[in-house]
Amino acid sequence: MMEHSKRHRDKYQGLPLILMILVLAAIASVPFWAGGGFIFLVGLLLIQTLFALSYNILFGLTGLVSFGQAALFATGAYATAYLMRTVPDVPFLLALLAGGLAGGVIAALISVIALRRASGIYFAILTLALGQLVYTMIGKSTALGREDGMTGIARPVLNLFLFEVDLSVGDRYFFFILAACAFVAGLLWWVWYGRIGRVLYAIRQDPERVNFLGVNVQRYREIAFIISGVTTAFAGALLGPWQQILTPEIADWSYSALPILMCLLGGATYYWGPAVGAVLFVGLSHATRMMPGISELLIGVVLLLVVLAVPGGVAAGLARIGKSWRRSTEEESI
Amino acid sequence: MLSDFGLVAFNGLAWAMAVFIVAAGLTLVFGILHVLNFSHGGFLMIGAYVSHDLLSLLDGDVSTISYIGAALAGGVVVGVLGYFVDRLVLRRLKGVEEAYSLIATYALLLLCVGAVKMIWGVNFMSVPAPEALSGALFYQGVFMPTYSMFVIGCGVAVFLLLDIWIRRSRTGKLVQSVAADPWMCGLLGVNAPAMYTAVVVISFALAGLGGGLLAANQSLSPELGGHYIIQAFGVIIVGGIGNIRGAFLASVLLGLVVSFGTVYVPEYPGIFFYLAIVAILMFRPEGLIKQKGLA
Repeated sequence: MMEHSKRHRDKYQGLPLILMILVLAAIASVPFWAGGGFIFLVGLLLIQTLFALSYNILFGLTGLVSFGQAALFATGAYATAYLMRTVPDVPFLLALLAGGLAGGVIAALISVIALRRASGIYFAILTLALGQLVYTMIGKSTALGREDGMTGIARPVLNLFLFEVDLSVGDRYFFFILAACAFVAGLLWWVWYGRIGRVLYAIRQDPERVNFLGVNVQRYREIAFIISGVTTAFAGALLGPWQQILTPEIADWSYSALPILMCLLGGATYYWGPAVGAVLFVGLSHATRMMPGISELLIGVVLLLVVLAVPGGVAAGLARIGKSWRRSTEEESI
Repeated sequence: MLSDFGLVAFNGLAWAMAVFIVAAGLTLVFGILHVLNFSHGGFLMIGAYVSHDLLSLLDGDVSTISYIGAALAGGVVVGVLGYFVDRLVLRRLKGVEEAYSLIATYALLLLCVGAVKMIWGVNFMSVPAPEALSGALFYQGVFMPTYSMFVIGCGVAVFLLLDIWIRRSRTGKLVQSVAADPWMCGLLGVNAPAMYTAVVVISFALAGLGGGLLAANQSLSPELGGHYIIQAFGVIIVGGIGNIRGAFLASVLLGLVVSFGTVYVPEYPGIFFYLAIVAILMFRPEGLIKQKGLA
């Protein structure tokens, strides 16, 4: 918790930046040395990382547990894919924005129903019910392909006004995902460490006291829900052209559990925690995918251990190591 | 027309009692431990698989007695599992935030699914209904499968037993008082931790029993646990969590809504359940029966 109040505004601010550039470079190098299956997996990982980072605005920062986030992810995915199918001339960036906006609208509706009335466990179950409502609607809607899903979603041409890029060629869409995810993750970073983020974090700590200070707690929770909804839907919007098929499973509650697991595993009190969690989670489930049962057992045990023994997740452990390393270098410099 | 109405209402009740059997144990544990147990559906599924294995030993010659016996055995197995789960996990969730304990029980659900996949595989299995329960009755033109009547009977029996136990018996009242104030009960010489364990074991045994009783209704697969838990969550949240009468009332109400919804708006089966939950919680955010503690 202390890490938050300090917010790393010290002379080591440069270090994470270098680290970030290295990580981005490493991801960008993937298509040059890996096979198609691995590239696909990394693309999916990027999208799911953005999903988890978006969710953490709600979960780690504001302290709200929603079990219906997948409905927003699916809203973005289906809205963008549907728009691209019905209006083939729509610029791709506009379609992505529309997907994000659709998620924002649904998030606003959900927050009006679920946040006004309920808190804690009631909020979790209400979001679960509302999410399942969206899931059922998608599965029964003929325009969205019912239970079979929407197939044949093409990778679009990106119109950048001065020139056009055909994203269906080679690994170009992979680089587009990387750029888009990095951009939105940057926006979320700004939310997390900015003024809104500080208010949200204070609300998590003590909503009553923040209320006394004249802050409309309810309004800020709604804002957090909508921000998280828009970026979640944006992450979903990227998914359609990547997989070229969308199935209603991405709206199901079991998919809502995904970002929760990633946030917890990585460490929900850190901005980058969910990203660490996403890498670990995708790695774990990919490594055990051929062994039915083992995958669930392993993830279940790890999750239990995190909740019961290391509530801070992996990032808390890393931060502790980082801090002691910093302290030792400080001592050396003296 | 009237007989149609009767049929729809009957189906609604059958759905309601099946879900109530699941929800009863769930609401019991929440009432005393304040943990919403995601894994309840997972243990129900284990109970169903256990009773499936026991019944398959009989080589298709399944009587009603052996069917109930197998379900009871499933209840015992899952009750024993419940003891260990309480020891290893639930007991440690005391100081943990509500939402985090919800996630811990979700992890338990994953463990159940993993265990079922390892032991029984991912293929669908089915349990034949016993001879006496596979027929149907006609009453006033309403077609009533005897198996559905059996489920309704089981649901009502579970409700009456729990309600009388909690409200009328000495141990039931002790459990209520532990739910209300464990510290004070401890001072008065009640062994509160033992009460916690007992309630958890009863709840898990109910899950196992329910799995066995409901097994003939559907094909068994590792997805069964998650399927039931969502409906049971809806029921207990509408009823007011921790409240057995509320859960009973809510299951009947939601059962009727689901049943009538499926008949009159067949294009969207399943959405009425969620719509009803949302509508009810909009107006009664604490559930139909608002009462703290266990009742």
